[in-house]
Amino acid sequence: MKILIVEDNQRVAQFLVKGLGEAGYTVDHAGNGRDGMFLAVSESYDAIVMDRMLPGDVDGITLVASLRRDGCTKPILILSALGEVDDRILGLKSGGDDYLVKPFSLGELLARLDAILRRAQNQQQCSTLTVADLQMDLLAHKVSRAGKAVGLQPREFKLLEYLMRHAEQIVTRTMLLENVWDYHFDPQTNVVDVHISKLRQKIDADAETPLLKTIRNAGYMLTANA
Amino acid sequence: MPDCQYKKPRSLRLSASSIAASYVAISLVVLILFAAPILYAWNTIVEERSTERLGEDAERLSRVLNNHGPQALKTVIDAMIEAQQAGDEKFILLADSQLHTKEGNLAAWPAGIPDDAGTYQVSFSLAGREVDAVMVRIPLSNGDQLLVGRNEARFGTARALFWVGLVGAAGAALFFGLSGGMLIRAMLLAEVQGISRTAAAIVAGDLTRRLPTTGETNELDMLAQTVNRMLDQIEQLIRGVRNVSNAVAHDLRTPLMELRSRLEELTWSRPGAAEVFPAIESAVSDIDRIIAIFNALLRLAEIDNGLSRSGFVATDLTKIVEDAAEFYQPLAEVKGLRIRFSGTRENLAAADPLLLAQAVGNLIDNALKYAMYEVRVSVRHQGRANIAVIVCDDGPGIAEHEKEKVTQRFYRGDASRGTPGVGLGLSLVAAVAKLHGASLRLDDAHPGLAAQLVFQG
Repeated sequence: MKILIVEDNQRVAQFLVKGLGEAGYTVDHAGNGRDGMFLAVSESYDAIVMDRMLPGDVDGITLVASLRRDGCTKPILILSALGEVDDRILGLKSGGDDYLVKPFSLGELLARLDAILRRAQNQQQCSTLTVADLQMDLLAHKVSRAGKAVGLQPREFKLLEYLMRHAEQIVTRTMLLENVWDYHFDPQTNVVDVHISKLRQKIDADAETPLLKTIRNAGYMLTANA
Repeated sequence: MPDCQYKKPRSLRLSASSIAASYVAISLVVLILFAAPILYAWNTIVEERSTERLGEDAERLSRVLNNHGPQALKTVIDAMIEAQQAGDEKFILLADSQLHTKEGNLAAWPAGIPDDAGTYQVSFSLAGREVDAVMVRIPLSNGDQLLVGRNEARFGTARALFWVGLVGAAGAALFFGLSGGMLIRAMLLAEVQGISRTAAAIVAGDLTRRLPTTGETNELDMLAQTVNRMLDQIEQLIRGVRNVSNAVAHDLRTPLMELRSRLEELTWSRPGAAEVFPAIESAVSDIDRIIAIFNALLRLAEIDNGLSRSGFVATDLTKIVEDAAEFYQPLAEVKGLRIRFSGTRENLAAADPLLLAQAVGNLIDNALKYAMYEVRVSVRHQGRANIAVIVCDDGPGIAEHEKEKVTQRFYRGDASRGTPGVGLGLSLVAAVAKLHGASLRLDDAHPGLAAQLVFQG
């Protein structure tokens, strides 16, 4: 997987290049919007991670907007120190697939990058989701583990659906808050953890191999690989 | 404070006087507009009509002579003089062609009447006094001359009275207009000076000063009240900023100090990898804590400056509250508590659902920290049009003297020491409430705290 990073701050850029490199991505780096634009159109990248505020005449928003205008459909993740709701909305409207506010942890960035990369890969609609022997029927709203029905509350169903759609990926607490509850703020308590452990009791309690794993310092992962 | 001394604003002085002057001018014009038609009517109707009548009388007497002879004329003249009421308002004089008196109530033909027939204004002396009169002279068919006249003195009094009245009224308008104008100007200046002096004191740094108000409903008082409310707001904001900078200093410096000392210690002690990595990990979580405080502060600032109103939409309040209650339910269960929700379907025409969710979430989160057995969350109508979101716990409650303070940034009550949180929860709720024109009330639930978010309907 080849990723383009457009970031002017040397320290942050080095952190991203190194972090993404260690996560197994091939990384190119541009230090301003113009170079970023040039690289983005001349090379073939799987995704672009860019800073919103770039020096020079091409800032992040302009860059995303012009790439999208040129027909680029690659997933784009915008990084920004501007974290107000309106800033986020503008970032997403101009064509970003996700918007991450600085400062962030590498785990959060990797999880979100993974999520937008996979979203780009499998766009097809399906009516059932399967992870190992866990099955979800989206139409009938039914879940079963090893053939045995699991009773879930509507919100638990939504939570599990998100985890299953992102199976084998790390999903952070923030991602869950945003996508399952639509809460774009930090509740400052471990409520998400409690929801997860409740869900875990329902799907993993009787099973030999637990599917829902906690990834330390990052989040959770629903995985069939023990 | 020499530069803060009050100077009379020149333009105000001018404007107060010129307003008074123009009111006087307007009242004079009104007076003239009122008097002119009366004067005109007087002239045309009263004077001309009565002069006409003199002519008619003369014609009638002339016809008496023609139809009934000189004797009849004399009788009629005598009868008319007889019929005349007290005073000598009407003059009738029949004279021969040599102007020798034959009959009438004038002793002699008055001097100054031209030889021709016509209507004349004359002055003559009658019984030793000057008389102004209007006289109609006509020649009769037998060569005699007839004079019929009217004493003007009666009308003169009325006319004089009219002019005295008019001039008096104009004088009164002038006097009351000008003195009223001066009075208004003086009052206006006094009030404006009061406002200006207070404003100058505030500019000089005394934010506790307020404009004098009388509690009446005049315009200046209403203005003063509005300005005072604005000053309250400014004072509160400035105090808030001061509190925040103190609180930021305290709450950010403390973790920064911990972080710094942790890292600095590593640079000199140079421990082995087994110790370095846990130290770095706790440094990172220190930073995460600082970031959380930072984000909370920025969010508060964002809400406070009202920018978030751009996200206002029609909102299903009950659903938001119910979702928040549901969101915290598992946390309650872990703590051995429960959350009970009850509510009617309530909608808000314009609200920010995200912020409301966070505010209600904070209230529930807060309640869970202190509750003994359960937290009751409800949405219901209050009064005629208000909608209240009530989050009730059965914990220790908040002491009366702490209620004011708990919504202040970074304030942490005695009961909250040792519980997680950065002390921004309730101030965020208060800010969100303010943005929505709602009020946050903290009541006693006996036992516990009933936090109410009341939206004005």
